[in-house]
Parts: sequence; structure tokens; C-alpha cells
Amino acid sequence: MMNPTIELNGLEVQLGGRTILHGLTGILKSRAIGLLGPNGAGKSTLINTLLGFHSPSKGSARVLGLDSHTNGKALRSLVGYMPENDAFISKMSGVRFVRYMAEISGLPSAQAMERAHEAFVYVGLGEARYRPVGTYSLGMKQLAKLAQAIAHGPKVLVLDEPTNGMDPPARKRLIELIREIREASDICLLLSSHLLRDVEETCDEVLILRNGQIASISNLVEERRANRKFLELETMGAEATFTSTLEGLGCECAVFTNGRIKVVMPDGVEIREVFKVAADKGVQIRRMNHRRDSLEDIFLNAMEQTGAADGRI
Amino acid sequence: MAVYKRKYTPYTGSLTPERSRFFVLTRYAFADLFKSRFFVLLLILSLVPSLFFAGYIFIANNKAVQLLLPTGPADMFSVEAGFFTFIMIVQTQAAFLLNCWVGPILIAGDLTNGALPLFLSRPFSRADYVLGKLAVMGLLLSGVTWVPSLLLFTLQAGLAKGDWIWSHMWMVVPIVLCSAIWILMLSLISLAVSAWVKLRIVATGVIFISFFIPAALGEMFNAIMGTIWGRLLNFSYLFQIILARGFREPSRLLGTMGWNEIPVPAAWGVLIFVCLLSLVILNARLRARDTVRG
Repeated sequence: MMNPTIELNGLEVQLGGRTILHGLTGILKSRAIGLLGPNGAGKSTLINTLLGFHSPSKGSARVLGLDSHTNGKALRSLVGYMPENDAFISKMSGVRFVRYMAEISGLPSAQAMERAHEAFVYVGLGEARYRPVGTYSLGMKQLAKLAQAIAHGPKVLVLDEPTNGMDPPARKRLIELIREIREASDICLLLSSHLLRDVEETCDEVLILRNGQIASISNLVEERRANRKFLELETMGAEATFTSTLEGLGCECAVFTNGRIKVVMPDGVEIREVFKVAADKGVQIRRMNHRRDSLEDIFLNAMEQTGAADGRI
Repeated sequence: MAVYKRKYTPYTGSLTPERSRFFVLTRYAFADLFKSRFFVLLLILSLVPSLFFAGYIFIANNKAVQLLLPTGPADMFSVEAGFFTFIMIVQTQAAFLLNCWVGPILIAGDLTNGALPLFLSRPFSRADYVLGKLAVMGLLLSGVTWVPSLLLFTLQAGLAKGDWIWSHMWMVVPIVLCSAIWILMLSLISLAVSAWVKLRIVATGVIFISFFIPAALGEMFNAIMGTIWGRLLNFSYLFQIILARGFREPSRLLGTMGWNEIPVPAAWGVLIFVCLLSLVILNARLRARDTVRG
């Protein structure tokens, strides 16, 4: 049986006398996991704990079945890490820096050199690979960090706020790269971000943290599938007979003021049947929104459920 | 995979043994150091005294050359314990200067731009990191302390007649042992200061004054309190006590200090304490993530 990607068992982490993570428990099985939460929710602390930088004060955390505390070295041999903050050796050329990191991960010198060149070209910095990393722009430094994280071919790629400080085209390119990496291999992805779009575009499952506690664990694939049959309608005409006929087909309907109706359709019922019922009952459908519950809704729901009325991000 | 294919592929090749990976740091550090002309100059200057010592040994063992000197043959050319003590003092001071320049380059560059999490997120521990950096200092400072000293010892043994080598073989032990404690202390102090200060130039200055300010404070303490124990803060003095005792004779070359004032075990104790303190600082400062208390 395959190990879950991440397994948290009552994980508590204290730093500087304060409890940052409060007994996190949960299992995440998807290959691409997003870590969401407001600033200070504990995302980076969780990543640092998974990498073995912090020791749990209680409980445990496992990645691919390896305990982050007791099997730290074995776990880190599987990981490629792209930190949130600046992390480079400014006077080294980009390709030498990545080669250096790959050699520390255990690649022989010649292979490390080859992989460093490949990684640099792959992330789109081929032309700049002989320049010192210190002279790179912010976006290029992010890409160099990604290059060093993938050069040694990790099984788990941990990305902490990867699109920080990037302009929209660069962000788009980076997100595409992350998706390509995910698709091209059986690599597991853990992406921490406060940008919901980054997580939505790259991840299958999301762990939402708030105040060091788990606010929600959502499988985005299932959520998307479940919400595929969710309609918002604006109608005019005989609402009552329209909705009762739809309910007869197995739909769940909620009627609001001004002819607004929300319809959850079961499997097997298609949208054209809704149009057919409307035509039969003489109801005008003036607007139809075939709505997918976005990650933002999931996030805000999670925030509300844990008592965060303001839901600040 | 060729670079033009632009496709991510996992690595499936062999890996190097974990126990020797710390040496990657050493290799890269040496490659970077030898790119600096100033470092190469400093290294050459550190080895220049050894050439003079070699010349001295040659003259001391060559009566013909001595006859050519204006003074003629004399007993001044004596290659005994005092001479090797002097060599060690000169070479360890050269090592000190080299250490002030090199130590901060090794660590400060990694810490200034937050590269440490990149090292420690791999199967690479903080101990491996320190070991890799210590190996640089160890190899480098060995090259200017016990290695040239032993070469000079070998030269003297080759040129001297009779059983000089056997009657002086015991000197190998203080040459190696005293160099080892000095190299270890210098390396740990420079790494600890660099990890603490993070800025290379500042770290160089702090390492330099960390040998002089405590010594000056110690002398002030002695003058005020009428004691000798303030000299425990003078690391060079403590090292020279150990050195003189190791070579079995306080030499006149060592200056005017009273060599028997501070007990040798106390000198060893202080130097070991400084090494341990440096390790504590390294342990506190070399972390992937800083913890803000409060």
C-alpha cells in the first residue's frame, strides 16, 4: 500500500516559547498539495518541520512514510526545496551554484554539472547561467532557486511562496513549469502560498491553516467534480412548478428572491434537461451560471467555520 | 538528456557516499580561494619564512659556507629545540593572519544571502557543514604550520651527521600537537565569529581584535589586581607556554615573558574552553531557520 504524501499526527511545534502549530492531524494523499493560510497561520513552520528544521514538541509528521524528526536525513534525500526568502551564494555563477547544490545532494561531479545545465535551461535561464547569481533580478533568483531544487531529481518538491515578487508573465511561466514538472514525473509537490490562484492551478489537494490549526483539508479534484453540476439561475415565470419538476428529476433546488434559483444536479441529469423543463413550464431563463465552487469559496468557508469572521488573507 | 530537449527528467544515476560529501564544500571553497590573487599572495608570504629557515639549516650544516661568512664558523648556527620553537611561533602567527582573511570568506558568504537552508534541506547535517569548512582551514593552516616545520625537520635530519634524527625525533610530537591545537582554535574562532557577525569584512576585523583586545584587558586586569591570571586571556601567550613546554625548553627567543607563571594545564584548559565556546556559538548560529523568541 502506498504511503500518504503527508501524514500529521497531533503535530505540535513550539518556537521561542510560543506554540505555533497546535496538534495538527490529517492525511494528505494527493501528489500535489497546496498549503494555504493567512500570514502567520503556520505554513512556513509546517514546511520547516516537515524538512526537519524544527523538532515537534508533540506528535509527528511524516512525508512519504518517513518521520520528519527521526528519519530526517532519509527524508531530505528525497526533497528539493525552494525557500521563500533569498537563498543563494551571490558570487557564484548560476550554473556553478546549482551544480554545487546537486553535488551536496550526492550527485557525482560530472552528472551534477550536466544536470545543472539542464535545470538552468529548463527553467529558462540558459542565457544567464554564467552570470553571478547576485546580479539576477528577483524573478531570475526565483527561477534559480527552482533550478537548484530540481537539479538532483527529487521525489518531493517543496515550494515556499514560489511566485513571490514575480510579475504576471513570469508568474505564469513559473506556474506552467511547476505543472510541467508535476506531469512529467511521479514527483510529489508541496506548494505553500497565500495566492489562491497558484494553489488552484497546480494542486489537487489543499491544507488550509489558520492560527496554527487545520481549518480544512479539501480534495480539489473531488470538489471540482462535485461542483460541476452546480447551477445558478435567474428566472422569470412559474418558479414553483419549475423547481418541483426539477426536484422530480432528482435535483436539489434553493429558491431566492427575484427568481434566483440554485440547482444542484445529480449525475445523469444534463443541463439541456433544465432548459427543456423551463420551456415546458413557460419559464424564462434569463441568466445561467454554470458555477464551479472556487478555491476562494473553500478558503473563505474554512475561515468562517473556524471562527474567522474577517477571513483576512 | 541534452539541454535542448527542455524537459524535466528525474535523476536515476548513482550517488556519492554520504560520509564524504562534506568534502564537496572543501573542494569548492579551495577553488574559490585560489581565484583570489590576494589569497595566493598571502599564502606565498606565509611560506617565505620557511625558505629562510631552510637556508639557515643549510648554513648551519655546511662549514664551507660558514667560512665564507664575515664572522667565520661559529656556534650561533644551532638547530635545536629553541630553533624549532621559533619556527613554530613564526609559522603559527602567519597562520593567524591567513585565518583572519580566509575564515570569514568560508561562512559569511553562505549566511549573508541565506544559503544555509539550501545546504540543510539536503541529506547534509550542520556537523557536515562545519566539518567541510573546518577541513578547508585544517588543510590550509597545516600547509603553513606543521607541514613546513616537519619538512625543515626532515631537511635538518638529512643534513646533520650522526644520529641527530633519533635524538630529536621527540620534537615531531610537539610540532604536530601544538600546531593541531592552534589550527583547531583559530579555525573554530574564525568560523564562530563569521557565523555570528555574517559580514565578511567585519568578521575579519573581529577575529583580528579577538586576539588583542582580551589580551590587553588581561594585562589591565593584571596591572590593577597585581596578579598574573589576566594572561589567561592572551591566547597567543597561552599557546607559546604550551609550545615552550612541548619543546622542553623555554627559549630566549620567546621574549621576556615569564613562561612558568601560568601553569600549562591552565593554558590547555583555556584553549579547549575557547574551542568549546566557539562550537556553542556555531551550534546557535548555524540554523536553517532563526527562531524569534517572545
